[in-house]
Amino acid sequence: MPHGIKISGESCRGCVNCIKACPTEAMRVIHGQLHIIDERCIACGECLRICRHRAISLEESEWNSIAADNRSMPLVTDPALCTQFSWPPDPGILKDILMAVGFEPIFEDTALAFDLAAMAQARILDEHDSRELPMISTYCPSVVRLIQIRFPELIHNLSPAETPLETSVDLWRTRHNRYDIPSTLVAPCPARITMAIRPVGRETSSIDNVVSTARVAKEILSKDCSPSRESTIPGRDSRWVHWSVSGGEAGHIRMFEKRPLKTLAVSGLRNVVGILQEIELRRLKGVDFIEARMCDMGCIGGIANAESPFLSRLKVEDYPFAREIDKEEMAILEDLYQAGVWKLQQEILPIEQIPLGKDMAKAMEKLSELQSVYAELPHLDCGTCGRPTCRVMAEDIVRGEASLDDCIFRLRKRMGDLSQELNELSKRFVHTMTPEGKE
Amino acid sequence: MNPLSRQEPYVIQREVKPLDFLAAGETASDFKETLKSLGIPPEICRKASIVTYEAEMNAVIHGGGGVIALELAGDRITIVASDEGPGIENVSLAMQEGYTTAPDSIRELGFGAGMGLPNIKKYSDELEIETELGKGTTLRAVILLGPSGEEVSDLCRTA
Repeated sequence: MPHGIKISGESCRGCVNCIKACPTEAMRVIHGQLHIIDERCIACGECLRICRHRAISLEESEWNSIAADNRSMPLVTDPALCTQFSWPPDPGILKDILMAVGFEPIFEDTALAFDLAAMAQARILDEHDSRELPMISTYCPSVVRLIQIRFPELIHNLSPAETPLETSVDLWRTRHNRYDIPSTLVAPCPARITMAIRPVGRETSSIDNVVSTARVAKEILSKDCSPSRESTIPGRDSRWVHWSVSGGEAGHIRMFEKRPLKTLAVSGLRNVVGILQEIELRRLKGVDFIEARMCDMGCIGGIANAESPFLSRLKVEDYPFAREIDKEEMAILEDLYQAGVWKLQQEILPIEQIPLGKDMAKAMEKLSELQSVYAELPHLDCGTCGRPTCRVMAEDIVRGEASLDDCIFRLRKRMGDLSQELNELSKRFVHTMTPEGKE
Repeated sequence: MNPLSRQEPYVIQREVKPLDFLAAGETASDFKETLKSLGIPPEICRKASIVTYEAEMNAVIHGGGGVIALELAGDRITIVASDEGPGIENVSLAMQEGYTTAPDSIRELGFGAGMGLPNIKKYSDELEIETELGKGTTLRAVILLGPSGEEVSDLCRTA
């Protein structure tokens, strides 16, 4: 599944709230059952936010089986987890707690991987031909999928940098020579879960299990874990925490800039679509880097978090971190940069959308047909046919996936016409009768 | 199959209202989605999208609104923008990058930078402008569907 969510058929009431919330029109309700069109879903999680019947849930790994494993498993977390608690978002504090829960948090590698991703991207931007800019971050898997599906012409603008969450597990495995033990990722959204199940830009993910931020936060809070140290000295080990808030990645990249870089941080679905349109129309001049996140405020706004995104942001803003990168750190980063471990292993390709017809002529015929079918529909976008809009309904009809009678208004009209015809037929006299009705 | 086989053109028309900056770009993305549903390559959709957007903005800023049409026939996409605005006094001047007659009030909004017609020319394969002072302007921009010359390869420059 490319979407990181699962549907519970029993709980689904067939209301159409989710299909109308879906930004890519990827959902249908057919015969009372919810369907997701894989090649259109971007795993943004909007449907999860809106479903009141709890029919949609995250496709996370079974917590109990992970907890039952007595080995101390490597754990990498999205920085959003650090912001979920009453204490400061210090990875050092969280590390102690996670160790007490039985994991081996690989935060040294995580910090290094995030530094590396920031440094590598700054390098690329420094050397890039400005005609090919802006470069778009690949950190948000949902944004990458949106580009693959809706903005295929912007694929070349995507950054070639691997998400540092994958890189950190790669680094840990290489450093410790441990390829035998499963790794766990803590994810704040369905898109991050998807990353581990069906990665983009690499053959297989370095991650084996995925659990939600909320699940892990609940576990930590229920165990009554409290911070063992007041607050560690914020240093290079915590720069990555800022990636959880909109603007964090862009700020981190600018720490490594050689020429003044112009970066833009955009968050929230509408804004992301808006900025991609601007880039497509080539209206965005002089911008080097776009950090786009599908959730409002960044990853702290992900649906799988427990804490309010506003409080999360406050904690991150109040938490100082070391800006200077010393010579020793720089030397390590330089080695890793040269080794190329930060790079995506595969090219990101567009996700082909099925055209209306198998060739242009056929597709154009279908398009004309679509317009006349659309004209027949009530244009209320009520969703009762199981499609989000009348426009989508017309498309499904033309593709042979729906019938005009699935529209309740069309059905009503046909019933009305039929009953009128029946009524007229019933008034027709029989030949054995005279028109006056005498026998 | 030959994509040229269809004889009569397929046409969609959209009305553009004067000074409606909020709706600007809607026609462009609408046309793009239509072209994509036909299986037309992304680079060509993007060119059509840019041409439509610039034509739309010209109608919004200068033309007092107008009508934009997308015509599909044979080997080409034609974008026709017509308005009943003041007309263009000097077409060759208007084709120069940076030349603008947009009032300050519009330039302050970040529009009217004098790149409209130059961009339309840049991203289309053929361009025809009919204009009459006081009567209006009709612009026809053609984008070829086939693997046309350098412009297309310029767009897929990473190759």
